[in-house]
Amino acid sequence: MRDARRGMRGAGRGTREPLVNSRSSHKGQLRIPHPASRSSHPDTRFARLLVAPALLVIALVAIFPLGWTVWESLHRHDLRLPWLGTPFVGLDNYARIAHDPRFWGALAHTAFFTAVSVSLELVLGLIFALAMNRAFRGRSLVRVAVLVPWAIPTVVAALLWRFIFDAQAGIANAVLVDVGLVQHPIVWFVHAATAWVPVILADVWKTTPFVALLLLAGLQTIDASLYEAAAVDGASAWWQLRRITIPLLEPAILLVLIFRTLDAFRVFDLIYVLTGGGPGTSTEPVALYTFNALLQNLQFGYGAALSVVIFAITFGLALLYIRGLGAGGAEVGQ
Amino acid sequence: MPRARRGRIVGAVSLLIAVAACHARSDTRPVITYSGSAVGSQGEIVRKQIARFMTLHPGVVVKVQSSPDDATQRHQLFVQWLNAHVGDPDVLELDVIWTPEFAAAGWILPLDRFVPVRTDFFPAAIAANTWRGALYAIPWYVGVGLLYWRTDLLPHAPTSMDQLVAFAERGMHAPGGARFGIVWQGARYEGLITTFVEYLGAFGGEIMDAEGRVVVDSPQAIRALTFMRDEITRWHVAPPDVLTWHEEQTRFAFQNGNAVFMRNWPYAYSLLDDSAQSRVAGRFAVSTMPAAPGGKPTTALGGAELAINRYSEHPDLAYQLITYLTAPAQMLERAQATGDYPTRVALYDDPRLARALPVPLHDVRDAIAHAVPRPVTPIYTQLSGLLQVQLHRALTGQATPADALHEAAREMEGALRDAGCGMRGAGCAAPDAGRGNRS
Repeated sequence: MRDARRGMRGAGRGTREPLVNSRSSHKGQLRIPHPASRSSHPDTRFARLLVAPALLVIALVAIFPLGWTVWESLHRHDLRLPWLGTPFVGLDNYARIAHDPRFWGALAHTAFFTAVSVSLELVLGLIFALAMNRAFRGRSLVRVAVLVPWAIPTVVAALLWRFIFDAQAGIANAVLVDVGLVQHPIVWFVHAATAWVPVILADVWKTTPFVALLLLAGLQTIDASLYEAAAVDGASAWWQLRRITIPLLEPAILLVLIFRTLDAFRVFDLIYVLTGGGPGTSTEPVALYTFNALLQNLQFGYGAALSVVIFAITFGLALLYIRGLGAGGAEVGQ
Repeated sequence: MPRARRGRIVGAVSLLIAVAACHARSDTRPVITYSGSAVGSQGEIVRKQIARFMTLHPGVVVKVQSSPDDATQRHQLFVQWLNAHVGDPDVLELDVIWTPEFAAAGWILPLDRFVPVRTDFFPAAIAANTWRGALYAIPWYVGVGLLYWRTDLLPHAPTSMDQLVAFAERGMHAPGGARFGIVWQGARYEGLITTFVEYLGAFGGEIMDAEGRVVVDSPQAIRALTFMRDEITRWHVAPPDVLTWHEEQTRFAFQNGNAVFMRNWPYAYSLLDDSAQSRVAGRFAVSTMPAAPGGKPTTALGGAELAINRYSEHPDLAYQLITYLTAPAQMLERAQATGDYPTRVALYDDPRLARALPVPLHDVRDAIAHAVPRPVTPIYTQLSGLLQVQLHRALTGQATPADALHEAAREMEGALRDAGCGMRGAGCAAPDAGRGNRS
């Protein structure tokens, strides 16, 4: 199908190819191995041998630390209180988490941040992708330019946004006052509601390009003849978007959702620099609270338990999405 | 790789190893390591004084191990090292609020066996370094909170809390007045606690009492926090921006002529007096925070201490280095180089100190006399974190001062209970900590 389309639309092939390839490699990683893997075949055994070192490395760098963290989370281990020792406390740390209002607050903040920023990024990213998918002069330049925010390190971007939203000298207030929307400069980081504005704007600004590129790659796999046929039948552009583009873009959208939800759920550096979790703790996400427990209060047991909880949540989300993606991928593949 | 090239590399590496081995063998002198602030003027003066110590004691090698200048990061690093029982650094520069924590954990040596003369130093600084009767660190330099005020806008420093507000308003409305009445450190970090400690003392409150009980929700404390909030929302003398400001932002505001009052540490004085960068050079003075009826003028005590790692292999040499660095001559030299205040009482009668320090000496002495240490408890940093959040919630209007302080007290008591700390810190210490000296 891809080959046929290439034959039909020769223009711009050079710029499109890498994007298509990168997408198909993502899919390849997520696909479940072919059922024809018979263990008795000598090639299979050899293949397993070849994979073994990689699996060993994964076990060493991923599974071992994870197991260690789980073990640690079953202990009371407070680096600053050595007189308590490191007694085994079973699930005490988890029980404490269940009764910790600051944790539940942090979880709610994380969910709010994830929902708002990912939806905005998805909508804006789709608009950008549709725009970039049209043939126009300088298209490759635009695609590179769009990537700039994504390329800027998060801490630098966060500092940039902190200056923009500085109450006294920031551009945001200058513009709002000049336009007449507000009379007095807003002290953004002092109110719980306004502190979210720079946080979410910064995240949307930074990651929309990533979303747009993933969706663009998805758009390019859609057969142009479908649109031609729809146009012949007199379908409007809106109808085409709803009935052709969005359904066929589903795998790409799911991919975006996986990456962005998991990333947003673990948000740390952006908020650490922008608000530090304040005012009070009203923008504190779970990752920042965990950092606080682990590295500032040096409560290794409790911090480990918090890490395990975050891991469980993100892992659960990933499983849900992958199941969704598997289904979507199968449909398109047929 | 060509054989010849590989041979050369092997040769070079073995030569390096041989040189390193010879070097290690040729120098059998004991090595002690100092770790602390090693950047800027503080780093320069420490390196200079350590070099001089080595020429005076040719039998010892002293190494300087840089550690992060950011207090929180250095704390984290030190705790990790000491947990691993490493023997170096031997001499640690501690922030004044860490001594009880390190002492209770058994990470630093009690110093009484070296017979330091406690009365040579400011009592508040000694109190901050004493844990269960034993002295664990020698005060190196002190920092105290000062109230900077504009001499061109005000006749004299305020003498009461009401006058503080009245003067702030007067300074704002005077011709050529400042935009802000008063600025202080109000972001959610340790600086907020130091600001709060000064208001708290001014109203007669405390964070913890002499028995180690949490009393941060006393009526006096609620009045103090309400006063801070009212400065922002009721009298509009403090801009809400202070709730995001650290020391430097307040200094910029004051330096640009935008504030009538500023709460800050002594470091700001020489910068504000530098007409090349400051618009208020020669138009400001310092004083201590005034007090309300029932309270007393209070300045938060900051500063640095020198302590010995319990696992040091050369505790005697380490103490020699501490003695040298905290001797009057070195303190004077340091005051000259960095503006850090000496901790020795007698030096304040020394005309050389008056010449060395930018701040008038009687103001300094007055401020230090009112210095109050933050709670002396092994879990101070944790308590501080809990209190910071609640103070910030009250000041940003998310809770009333009373509710926030009750919540803070409840959480702080819970943390103390979890740590096993009873009255006067009973129970919260390593079994062998404070048992005396390692033989």
